[in-house]
Amino acid sequence: MRPGEDDLTRDDVTRLANMAGLKIDPAHLPGVVRNLGLLLDQAALFMDPPLDPLVEPAPVYRP
Amino acid sequence: MMLLDHPVDLSGVAAIARAVREGRLSARALVESRLARIEEINPRLNAFTEILGNRARREADAVDALVAAGRDPGPLAGVPFGVKDNYDVAGRVTTAGSIINRDLPAAAIDAVLLQRLTRAGAVLVGTQNMDEYAYGFTTENAHYGATHNPLDTARSAGGSSGGSAASVAAGLCDFALGTDTNGSIRVPASFCGIFGLKPTYGRLPRTGTFPFVHEIDHLGPFARSVADLALVYDMVQGFDAGDAACAEEAVRPTRHGLDAPWVGEAAILDGWFADMADAQGRAAVSAVAQALGATGRISLAQAHKARAAAFVTTSASGGNLHFASLEARAGDFDPATRDRLLAGCLLPANAVLQAQRFRTMFREQVLDAFRHHDLLIAPATPCTAPLLGQATIDVAGQAVPTRANVGLLTQPLSFVGLPVVAVPVRNGALPIGVQLIAPPWREDLVLQAAAQLERVGVAQAGDGVC
Repeated sequence: MRPGEDDLTRDDVTRLANMAGLKIDPAHLPGVVRNLGLLLDQAALFMDPPLDPLVEPAPVYRP
Repeated sequence: MMLLDHPVDLSGVAAIARAVREGRLSARALVESRLARIEEINPRLNAFTEILGNRARREADAVDALVAAGRDPGPLAGVPFGVKDNYDVAGRVTTAGSIINRDLPAAAIDAVLLQRLTRAGAVLVGTQNMDEYAYGFTTENAHYGATHNPLDTARSAGGSSGGSAASVAAGLCDFALGTDTNGSIRVPASFCGIFGLKPTYGRLPRTGTFPFVHEIDHLGPFARSVADLALVYDMVQGFDAGDAACAEEAVRPTRHGLDAPWVGEAAILDGWFADMADAQGRAAVSAVAQALGATGRISLAQAHKARAAAFVTTSASGGNLHFASLEARAGDFDPATRDRLLAGCLLPANAVLQAQRFRTMFREQVLDAFRHHDLLIAPATPCTAPLLGQATIDVAGQAVPTRANVGLLTQPLSFVGLPVVAVPVRNGALPIGVQLIAPPWREDLVLQAAAQLERVGVAQAGDGVC
């Protein structure tokens, strides 16, 4: 199940931060947890259904 | 030549510049009058981060010297203006609303848009307050304080270009430059009751400005009339190779077409844009639509997803930009900025890439809407200016966090880089902005429509009240 604002924990965020190479001050964790949850809730709005596989986000050069 | 000895029409940028060019008004006297007004009023607004009196006097004297020598100082001769504190000003550090940037070297040269304005004779009077790193909609900055709305100093001026909008609304300067990533020109224009232009992505070079989200950052002007907005915009148009995203698009002057009556096809943006607006915003849109002869309504079915994708892209891209500082000195960020940027660094790649691909798809959907319409109309903000420190605003019957939601009507449009003018409609105790949206590169259309609205009295900026 996708973690959202309500079920993301400080431990989750600390683990993610470690993987990303970031050390987050424990005093900052509540705000980061809240904001990451909000971001994941927003992301859920455009993650489903899947996009057309041919949608092209790359820079396209036109001669 | 003293300002008060030679009364002139000071009701617009062109009129001021004409008076200076014709020798009826001294640029130095004009600048002194604006500096005096800043000194008197800025302590109540906190709109400026630095007042550049010496530079302004030097530039004004140079304009006067040109006039005395019989040479033309340019279409903006002597006109005082300000810039958001993320534009480089030679000899000063570009803080971008942060204290972290204070460790950067001072800018060697002005930002390109600043160079162009100075060449046109305009006089820079100072730098203006903003949300830290342009990440916010209220200009409540933990380091430099909040900017107060000149219409009601208990309220927000909007953000992130709040200092620029408040300065123009209060008559502290005659126009200003801001930046707009998710609505940072259109939101403060709405709250302060002035005009703001966010041109097409890639139209104006960002060379010499501090970035926020490269793939969505835009520059643009604020002014108290459409004629002023168009004149300033015309002076800063043009390609510059220093910005990799700047298009080699031909300069398209706009100011000469403003008097033509609007005859295009306009439609109201329905759905998300109506549902998320309050009654005053919807009434403002109706008044604008009626004045432009717009009868149709169209809906962008995925606007709410575009807003969400802009939200995610902003955090991820901003987090990436500031990763090193977040790692080394997170405690020096404004807490409101820091926590969002840190969260952006932790987003799954899948979500970030999906947001990018979604943007491509949404852009095609929006461009399709312009096959039958020249202009789309939408409210700029979900409400009028909230109180400073107000935690929530009411949107569609729900209390939602203010900072995260003030830009929910602007975000889907900047996400796909369309040109938009925010026009002020005064249909309540406080003004509210309406967005006029055109296809890419058609800034002339949004400005022409805005001019029509101003002529018939539907859109009107304040008179520098404070």
